[in-house]
Amino acid sequence: MLTIEINEKGNIVLSGRFDASQVEKAKHVFTNIKTSSVVDFKNLEYISSAGLGVLLFTQKSLNESGESLTLINMNKHIQDVFRYAGFDMIFRIE
Amino acid sequence: MEKMEKRFKRTIHALEDIFTFLSEFKKRSNIDNSAAYGLDLIVEELFTNMVKYNSEGSLDILISLERAGNTLVLVFNDYGGEPFDITKTDEVNTKQRLEERKVGGLGIHLVKRIADQIDFEYHDRRSKITVMKKLEE
Repeated sequence: MLTIEINEKGNIVLSGRFDASQVEKAKHVFTNIKTSSVVDFKNLEYISSAGLGVLLFTQKSLNESGESLTLINMNKHIQDVFRYAGFDMIFRIE
Repeated sequence: MEKMEKRFKRTIHALEDIFTFLSEFKKRSNIDNSAAYGLDLIVEELFTNMVKYNSEGSLDILISLERAGNTLVLVFNDYGGEPFDITKTDEVNTKQRLEERKVGGLGIHLVKRIADQIDFEYHDRRSKITVMKKLEE
């Protein structure tokens, strides 16, 4: 299951697993992101293409107004998935 | 060799049961989560692909998992519907700029990157996908 919280810094903190069954839940949050934001992956153990799709859609929307997502604290496996998808070239990852 | 198989309903909501099934398989086969990260991804991507693109298929999808030495053998059987050979899908251009990237199409791409071998067969309205993945050391 995926949980999404906003922390005291205004960062979007993802926890759990971001799989296809969690896309609608994620969309409720990500479609409301209108300015540059940080997404913290420290508690996220897994992401699939469904999750990548939500992030990509958000990044494309933000990009239209010069805004973007910064992704932080990914575990090694998620970093690999981002690299396979070429997302390390279209997201700022720290 | 540890082999397990189970049928799952053709719905995204079956994923929770599928991940439980995978956890049991990993436990019985002595596969730690780190070593088999790709297992979850391959199974989810192929299952959701079948759910999305074979709406004419029979209700259930059969997933079989087996550990043969240091190799995982995953078999997906989807009954009914037209064939969709995932080994022949177009490559995704992952070097495109953000504006050019399309949402969608990444699932099969990720499976191809992670799997060591993928075979597709279609007989008597049954699609069978066999994936082999070496366990990470």
